[in-house]
Amino acid sequence: MVDTSTDPGRSVADMDDELLPVPGHRLHGPKHFLGLYGAEHVAATEFVIGAAFVAMGAGIKDILLGLLIGNTLAALSFWLITAPIAVKTRLSLYTYIEYNLGDMTSRIYNGANVLIFAAISAAMITVSATAVRVLFDIPPQIYPYPSNLAFAAIAASASVIAVLVAYYGFNVVAEFATICTPWLMVMFTAGGMVLIPALNETLTGYTTLSSFSEFVNLAGATVFTGVNANGEPGIGLIEVIGFAWAANTFAHFGLVDMAMLRYARKSIYGLCTATGMMFGHYVAWISAALMGAATASMMKLSIAVVSPGDVAYYALGATGFVIVIIAGWTTANPNLYRAGLAAQAVFPKVPRQKVTLAVGAVVVVGSCFPFIYRQILPILAYAGLVLVPIGGIVFAEQHIFPKLGLKSNWHRLKGLKDNKPALITWAICLVFGFGLNATGLLYFVYLFLPTWVVAIVSYTVLAKAAGAGASYPEAEQREQDFDRRVKEHHAKLAATENHEYVKDTSALTRGIRSIWIVIGLVIPAILAWRVLFNSPDLYAYYVNREMFYSVTIWCTAIYFVFAWWDLQRGKALQKADQASAASMQATPAT
Amino acid sequence: MLKSFRTTLAPIACLVFSAISATAMAETITIATVDNGDMVRMQRLTEHFTKDNPDVTVEWVTLDENTLRQRATTDIATGGGQFDVVTIGTYEASIWAQRDWLLPLDDLPGGYDIGDLLEPVRSGLSHDGVLYGAPFYGESSFTMYRTDLFDTAGLEMPDEPTWEFIKQAANTLTDRDNGISGICLRGKPGWGENMALLTSIANSYGASWFDMDWQPQLDSEAWNNALTTYSDLLTQNGPVDASLMGYQENLALFQQGQCAMWVDATAAGQFVINEDSMVADSVGFAMAPDNGLGKRANWLWAWALAIPQNTEHKETAKKFVAWATSKEYLALVAETDGWASVPPGTRKSLYDNPEYQKVPFAAMTLASIEAADPSKPTVDDVPYTGVQFVDLPEFTGIGTAVGRQIANVLEDSATVEDALKNSQWVTEKQMTRVEMLNRD
Repeated sequence: MVDTSTDPGRSVADMDDELLPVPGHRLHGPKHFLGLYGAEHVAATEFVIGAAFVAMGAGIKDILLGLLIGNTLAALSFWLITAPIAVKTRLSLYTYIEYNLGDMTSRIYNGANVLIFAAISAAMITVSATAVRVLFDIPPQIYPYPSNLAFAAIAASASVIAVLVAYYGFNVVAEFATICTPWLMVMFTAGGMVLIPALNETLTGYTTLSSFSEFVNLAGATVFTGVNANGEPGIGLIEVIGFAWAANTFAHFGLVDMAMLRYARKSIYGLCTATGMMFGHYVAWISAALMGAATASMMKLSIAVVSPGDVAYYALGATGFVIVIIAGWTTANPNLYRAGLAAQAVFPKVPRQKVTLAVGAVVVVGSCFPFIYRQILPILAYAGLVLVPIGGIVFAEQHIFPKLGLKSNWHRLKGLKDNKPALITWAICLVFGFGLNATGLLYFVYLFLPTWVVAIVSYTVLAKAAGAGASYPEAEQREQDFDRRVKEHHAKLAATENHEYVKDTSALTRGIRSIWIVIGLVIPAILAWRVLFNSPDLYAYYVNREMFYSVTIWCTAIYFVFAWWDLQRGKALQKADQASAASMQATPAT
Repeated sequence: MLKSFRTTLAPIACLVFSAISATAMAETITIATVDNGDMVRMQRLTEHFTKDNPDVTVEWVTLDENTLRQRATTDIATGGGQFDVVTIGTYEASIWAQRDWLLPLDDLPGGYDIGDLLEPVRSGLSHDGVLYGAPFYGESSFTMYRTDLFDTAGLEMPDEPTWEFIKQAANTLTDRDNGISGICLRGKPGWGENMALLTSIANSYGASWFDMDWQPQLDSEAWNNALTTYSDLLTQNGPVDASLMGYQENLALFQQGQCAMWVDATAAGQFVINEDSMVADSVGFAMAPDNGLGKRANWLWAWALAIPQNTEHKETAKKFVAWATSKEYLALVAETDGWASVPPGTRKSLYDNPEYQKVPFAAMTLASIEAADPSKPTVDDVPYTGVQFVDLPEFTGIGTAVGRQIANVLEDSATVEDALKNSQWVTEKQMTRVEMLNRD
């Protein structure tokens, strides 16, 4: 599968793992992906996107139904489009592009990724900075640009720290991010629950809701009103579906998530993305919107300008600071890292340090502008439009070419430096996609669909004309040899690597786990439940809410201490088990 | 021939030029307003404004009070520019002016007599001495009482009663066997219901919500005295289920002859003497009570027209606001709808008018408004403005929560001390919580 034409004698063992298909013994089952996707899609962006739907004037019924449909479509896209290619090739998209679509495509693709990931990083750092601004007595940033020098300084400082952390401590933050998921899920849900009575009181004068239909009425009257920030009719069901579907276009149709799904034993595990879609992009978006509306109502501000830091603080008390900073940083961290890697691929001859600093400088400047985080939803949709043609090209190679008798890896077999059909196809798609956008014929979130189709058709035609149907016996033989060597290498790895997960059943670990589950998650959830369902009037509501605020911050501290401890014990156990397996193999049998 | 052609062409050219100019100059202003009778009337009378200003088109967006606040806030905060004029109350005026959202209105055109505005109303709509809302309606609170019951009991209501007198009169006049309560007061919890009245009462007892360092003062002796007076009056002389009685409920009771006294909005004056009132012929009006400390228990509220900073039609908006809140507009309403329909409480000249002076409660309304001082609402100095409210965004929530505690006292489920202790706690907590968010 991998290009050996440039270096046929190169040892497979010396190659970076990232450049090789994932070996069979490193594949994961569905549980891994259920957790992974839950974590990936409960992030600081959710605070912003929830509020964005409110500002765009979505109606409550459109939200409830549209997000369900849109996120189902997204999960189906992961299952039917991304996962099969990831499982078939076992490569990340970046490696695939580098090997199959040529240098120039790879470089441009990485260039686009630099911009997109830098924008996401900047947005998430700004989100974190909005939490910090209240601690420094800085006024709310209600304009697209920084209206306070101190805020710009804080955002820039946070960026600098984030860049340094991403550069030097990426693994620690990434590891930390893995334990955040259950806590983030509880806190996002709790935040919405805690502010519903306050919101209800502003509308009806009562703090209690007796039925789901009352909740729908409340949300429809105060949050998802169907009227946008300009007082005009807002987006409808079709648009809501489109936004939910397109929010991750670059990941599913754009195939970026091949990087994760290449580890799936079966392509049906693509459906595990539903945890992220249905929780992060459904419950969390709606909850974030409720929190935003309640905060805006209290502050006598518009939800369009209320910052995530304010929302989180008002909904969750001191825990709100923690959630925004953690959710912001754990999202910014991998995106900064991705941006840095992509930038290095674009400028391979420039020292890594310089490239990273240049990307960091862009992020620092970008993080000072609240405009970027407030526009994150359109940014994600347009990013998807830019990247989706590559997904179409890869889809054509993997699914269409075999049916037409064309070679999926024709470009490698032919030994070309650049894949001109891919470059031309991408250019055609961008002109087509943005041209269609200019005509206004199709709502912009749906532009990725026809663009993807154009990419498939165009690339198939152009590649066939460029020689995808020709025979390359010598190169094909070389490919087969390489694949054989990769298999041998993987077999050796499988023999030396302990790929059995050792379950920690010790009493201490069970105790630690019980503590972070009960104290860190169950107690805050019960307290939030009490605020929502046991607050007969505003005074009782404040009493219950204060109790939630006061206790939850301690629960949070205990959660992170014990969850981290649990993680480290688990890692130590796996490490010890691997060391033991290695020594067993090194010891000759007697 | 050429001369004749020129002679004919010149006026046509002028007409065409004028038409083009008029088209180019034509402006549309959009006004966001509440759906009350005064504003409906203003919409109807706007044709008089557009007749005098043919280059201006006025579009109205009429909303309920909560929706108006939400929409106007969103529009102004995001710089949407959707509204050129918005309707605001005294509560919003100060908060929005502090945020620099509103245009100063000290230079309204068309001979707008700003000096004619009643000083307390003007003050309530100003920030740092600059007017940000032009008032079209103002109210205070006063005491309405049954002259027939007073006569029968041999009591005489002073023009400026004290709380001591009110207590004695209420004790004397309470006749529960005949369904008469000595006094009716707002008891329904809410920042605009029981807390509007109780805050006014507290002011007259020398209490305040906060001291100059923004420390809540609800556990003070002055608050205790005020609440004791209020709760004693209602529990001993008030209507049954006093904690359920708001403005509308008490109005109905008074109209049905079930209240000997009622301290509430001056706007109620017209309703207790109209055809819906069974006691219309025997209603007297007096100032809200005091406690001899120099502050009466009368509040101040006004509805006003304000202009968002981000409007593109500043001058036209000013022109409209000046017209709609002018002396001429009041005269126009009197001419078309009668004096009783004239929006009260904004201009001195209205109360100088002999025709308006015939309205029974006019003089007492004016006196009550003039007795209110939103810039110095309490006996001691405070850092906030607003008589029956505090001009903080979070006050509505705090006020309603405290209002619930006060209602508990009326329902005998809390003592005065406990209610004030809880009120102090909730105010401290909420102030601490939102203080950081609302820093400007």
